[in-house]
Amino acid sequence: MPERGVEMQTWVYEVDDLETNNHSKTTSLWWGPLIGVTDQLELALPIEFEWISADGMGTNFTLQRFGIEARYRFVSQDPEDMPPFAPLVRVAVKRDVVERAATRLEGDLVGSYQAGPVNVLADLGIVAQIDTDPMKEDIVEARPGAGISIEVVEGLRVGGEIYAELNLQGNDDKGWAGIGPNFAWTYGRFWISGAALVGIYHVKLAPRFMWGVAF
Amino acid sequence: MRVVPTILCCLFLAAPAFADKAAVPPPPSGRIKGKVTVTEADGKPAPGADIIVYILAPNFSEPGGTATEKIAQKGRKFVPDLVAVTKDDSVAFPNEDPFLHNVFSQSPPRKFDLGSFKKGESKEKKFDQTGVVDVYCNIHPEMAATILVLPNKKHVRADAQGNYVLEGVPAGEVTVFAYTRRATKPVSSKVTVTAGGVLTVDLALQRGAEAPHKNKYGANYQGPSGSYPK
Repeated sequence: MPERGVEMQTWVYEVDDLETNNHSKTTSLWWGPLIGVTDQLELALPIEFEWISADGMGTNFTLQRFGIEARYRFVSQDPEDMPPFAPLVRVAVKRDVVERAATRLEGDLVGSYQAGPVNVLADLGIVAQIDTDPMKEDIVEARPGAGISIEVVEGLRVGGEIYAELNLQGNDDKGWAGIGPNFAWTYGRFWISGAALVGIYHVKLAPRFMWGVAF
Repeated sequence: MRVVPTILCCLFLAAPAFADKAAVPPPPSGRIKGKVTVTEADGKPAPGADIIVYILAPNFSEPGGTATEKIAQKGRKFVPDLVAVTKDDSVAFPNEDPFLHNVFSQSPPRKFDLGSFKKGESKEKKFDQTGVVDVYCNIHPEMAATILVLPNKKHVRADAQGNYVLEGVPAGEVTVFAYTRRATKPVSSKVTVTAGGVLTVDLALQRGAEAPHKNKYGANYQGPSGSYPK
């Protein structure tokens, strides 16, 4: 995202049949603008909705949280100036609408390596939900991920990835992990990416779609 | 007393190095001068057009990377709208207008997007592939400039009357090119340069209309020129 660029991003992701949480099924929506503050710093203002259904709990759809997040690239975003290894850090602070005493902190360290048409990426993410309500326990999750993709034609990448959400503290369910193919396609001011993760740990499926339109 | 022998000793030791340098004569070269005339498509003269004259010769290249040219954004124009750089040189793009510009290029030798930046700010790009780079503003479609990225330093901007002088042109067969923006193609003349010789090469260019271009997303610009936020 170049300086003063603006993009509207939408993420839709599902976790189907989470075994350790009453076989819950969730569909989450992340939506918000992304603003290029400088050529290396981006700010996002997401709002997040969640639909959930679980055994014995019925279904629920709600505004889950909103907040602000910053993404900083340590190297130029210009593909021709960028060195092969490009690190990025993401931090976010979010207000939980449902658990009103909770503040959610998110952080990611991302490193990508480009070798010709091949891109390898690793993401070490962590989420902490700090609750000031003494009756509620804080939640800490690790969210590691890694992927590889290759540009098959200009603007279209295909590859595969592995991703997990692992509960480290404060939650009965153990989390989940999935692996599967992914793709990304850029066309003018529009891009879309998706992944079809198949569960390898406590989940059946975890598909994901993200798209963005630049202005 | 011991100082003098020491100095003599140093000079003596250094002598072979000086001798080596002196023994390498500069490559034989000559000079090319002339005048370039530019006319519009209707045959009328185009006075004051920016003109670049350059040479290409087989197996002749020179390293760049030391110079930074400047293309300012001023009065909703790129000034100048034509520059030549040697491969690996840079171009700075200062914004001298009191409103935002978004300079970009989709030309294969160097694609870039500088984002939007305000008056007093400048961004710079390095050009490491030879070729023609067309530069536009994503906010103001009427703004256009061209950067010629050349394999050697033998390029010069003609003066307001179209006169030019190229010094140090390597001896042998070379092709002299003249280029101006909106020219349908560069004009050229193949000549043979002799060591110490002076050649006169006059060239004539004809301009066409400004070629239409897309915005940085590959789409048509929205709205008429001038309706964009300042």
